Amino acid sequence: MLAEIGVSTTFLAFVAALYALVMSLWGARTRSEGKVLSARNAVFVAFVLLLAACVVLVIALVREDYQISYVWSVSNPSMPLFFRITALWGSQAGSLLFWSLLLAAFAAGAVWLNWHNNRRLMPYVIAYSMATLAFFLFLSIFIENPFNRYWFVGQETLETALIPAGGVAPSDALLRDSANGLNPLLRHFGMAIHPPMLYLGFVGFLVPFAFAMAALASGDLSTNWIRASRRWALAAWLFLSLGLILGGRWAYDVLGWGGYWGWDPVENAAFLPWLIGTAFLHSVMIQEKRGMLKTWNMFLVIGTFSAVIFGTFATRSGLVESVHSFARSEIGFPMFAFWFGMTIISVWLILWRRSRGELRDEHAFANIFSRESLFVLNNLVFVALFIAIFWGSFGSPIVSELFLNANITLGTEYFQLVTPPLFAALFILMGIAPLSAWGATSLRRLGRSALVPLVLALASLIVFVLMGMTMPVALIGYGIVVFAGWVAIYETYRALMARVRQQGENPIQAFFALLRRNPRRYGGYLIHLGVTVIGIGVLGSTLFQQETQQTLRVGQSMEIAGYTVRYDGFAAGQISEDGRVMDIATLTVLRDGQELQTLRPRRDFFPNVQDMNTMTIAASRSTLQDDVYTLLVDWEMTPTEEAATFKVYVNPLVNLIWWGGFVLIAGTLAATWSGDTLPARSRKSLMVGATA
Amino acid sequence: MAEITWEKRQVSSERRGVSPDRWKFFVGGGLMLLAVVYLIVAGTGAGARYFITIDELLTNPEYVGQTVRITGAVDGDTIVYDAQNLVIDFTIANMPDAFDDLALALHNAVNDPTASRLSVHVENQVKPDLLQHEAQAILTGTLGTDGVFRATELLLKCPSRYEESVPAQAEGV
Repeated sequence: MLAEIGVSTTFLAFVAALYALVMSLWGARTRSEGKVLSARNAVFVAFVLLLAACVVLVIALVREDYQISYVWSVSNPSMPLFFRITALWGSQAGSLLFWSLLLAAFAAGAVWLNWHNNRRLMPYVIAYSMATLAFFLFLSIFIENPFNRYWFVGQETLETALIPAGGVAPSDALLRDSANGLNPLLRHFGMAIHPPMLYLGFVGFLVPFAFAMAALASGDLSTNWIRASRRWALAAWLFLSLGLILGGRWAYDVLGWGGYWGWDPVENAAFLPWLIGTAFLHSVMIQEKRGMLKTWNMFLVIGTFSAVIFGTFATRSGLVESVHSFARSEIGFPMFAFWFGMTIISVWLILWRRSRGELRDEHAFANIFSRESLFVLNNLVFVALFIAIFWGSFGSPIVSELFLNANITLGTEYFQLVTPPLFAALFILMGIAPLSAWGATSLRRLGRSALVPLVLALASLIVFVLMGMTMPVALIGYGIVVFAGWVAIYETYRALMARVRQQGENPIQAFFALLRRNPRRYGGYLIHLGVTVIGIGVLGSTLFQQETQQTLRVGQSMEIAGYTVRYDGFAAGQISEDGRVMDIATLTVLRDGQELQTLRPRRDFFPNVQDMNTMTIAASRSTLQDDVYTLLVDWEMTPTEEAATFKVYVNPLVNLIWWGGFVLIAGTLAATWSGDTLPARSRKSLMVGATA
Repeated sequence: MAEITWEKRQVSSERRGVSPDRWKFFVGGGLMLLAVVYLIVAGTGAGARYFITIDELLTNPEYVGQTVRITGAVDGDTIVYDAQNLVIDFTIANMPDAFDDLALALHNAVNDPTASRLSVHVENQVKPDLLQHEAQAILTGTLGTDGVFRATELLLKCPSRYEESVPAQAEGV
């Protein structure tokens, strides 16, 4: 029964999306408000139906309806409730349905909140978002249906959504005994929330894309589409940032190699839209403030969504070899066709509007040190990073396959060589750009503004040197990164003290007043500060990581980076609630003879999981200064010998990456949920328009 | 309810403030483009690896000593792990270039006595949990003159990829 409800609601949602697509375009063409209104209602219906479909799948997972092939492949009777629910996005078919639900939710939210203010854009916003939704539902229904069931027909086992002729349902006992269970690697809290965050980020960029396309299609090329979609773009960017950080944390905790970013194609596929999206969030300010970069912004917003769809295609089609990718699937060609078609239509629309002179800038760049020029430079560096990472992940294999009849891939050496100079350029611009003014700034004035942050950065470096850091690369890297951070702090401090003096507020009141009055600027500084903290963490953990491995008997110790790690004992065969069997070592971390913390690295065995069923779980002592990260590699427990082998990493400053993420979230929230959605220039132009 | 305005906005063709310093932007942009192209070309030279099959590796002597990327099916019986020194040795079997069913391709490769096999040696590597029988290994490294592939990078496919299995019919069901 659950499967029938799931299939029906998904199919009806597909029909509703198609109906909304047709009616919105028909309504726009015939200028019929009734048809557009009907399309809008169909958007809401599609959302409700998809919500029902996802709820049904979760119920099937919780109630252990193993005849549904998706439930059978991602869960088993020993799995706890929490992971049973999060198995909704544990594999291809479920995650595609979940993706569609989020897409429908964003589309419904955007239509609901902008219906009265942006009526002219609405038909096209509906058309673009529903075309995307209908495509993803097509994949869910015809290629990766999460409601397919197993049927025995003769000697064959079929997997279909509809009951086949002569089909007999397998017995419950057989299904329960053979059910796969969720991949052990995915049974981690970070993995439970990392995919939804990433999907929210990906799907969220649909809204600015749909509004931009609506602006091009309708001819309303004012800043309306930007104002309507700014918060959505920021929210999507926040989710995508969170998804990336959580993905890094999952890799750090679960994959057991002491790192968090491996330049894997799938990681890069998620990073690419973030790069273009960040460039868009910066350059869109120039259009709002100065009426410039109209065509460029259109390309960036299309590029962001295009990167989302391409990344999804690359990850889910089997195009790239990665530990993170989904199973090879038939969805590859349709996804590529959709990505290609959507991109071509969007680019054609931009070129068409541009040829009509409707995307002309209202000002030209007057000064190379003006804020808009520096923002453009920042944009170019983001785009350069995008091209470099895209080439390294996808471009090189595809081009070599097409033109050289060989498959050439680029290893991590490529990324380690190409990306650091570009990241350094970004941090330098992140420091300088906020110090310049709109319109024009002289080099002398810029130098004066930068003096105090430069002195502070230099003072920081002297402190680092006194602490024993002498590696030139590290000093250059830290100099650039902390300069950007000091600019954010100093600029906020100056404004804050001005308020304290003029308004008589205390510093905390003044800080929140600043965020209220100019959330975009001071929220932005908070984001820059978060990125600085992340940069400090990345530099520390990359340049100064230490590792060692040793076999120890109980009572023996090993030394690393000033720490002593003592092996205290071993407990084999511990059984947890979910049925996994754990072999646990006990270690004590000491410094200068003082015990700091007990760690329990372990190896888990999942007896109910087929094939890959062991998992090494790291244990670490985490402080802001560093992580002592321990892995149980092997052990030998005999009556005469009780030895275990450990690998230990010390990762300096690695926790700043996660803490920097929190600062970044706070900054984005401050910039997103502000009262100021309309810049002064737009307010003025609206008022002029109203009185005309 | 707001009224819909369908008319298109009049677009002003006026363009103000043409910059006299436009050449600076072009020069700056050109220099930046050159720097980025240089970085990408240099990086490609340093990081490029041919991704080839075991058959191609073994039949072309020019690959000996060259850093390449290969893929193969792990024969679980051959895995030898020296945990004290973090050294792993195992054998992989040649896999076809293209296949529909990964699990089946891995199974066939390992059980095909005629498939080419390659000994792999990995140092300073904790044995990955996914290094098991019939896993797909993707390795970067060099083939020595002794016929052993010394891998510097070992990547194994995530088990979530093995979704192709279905519940088998038991007797009497």
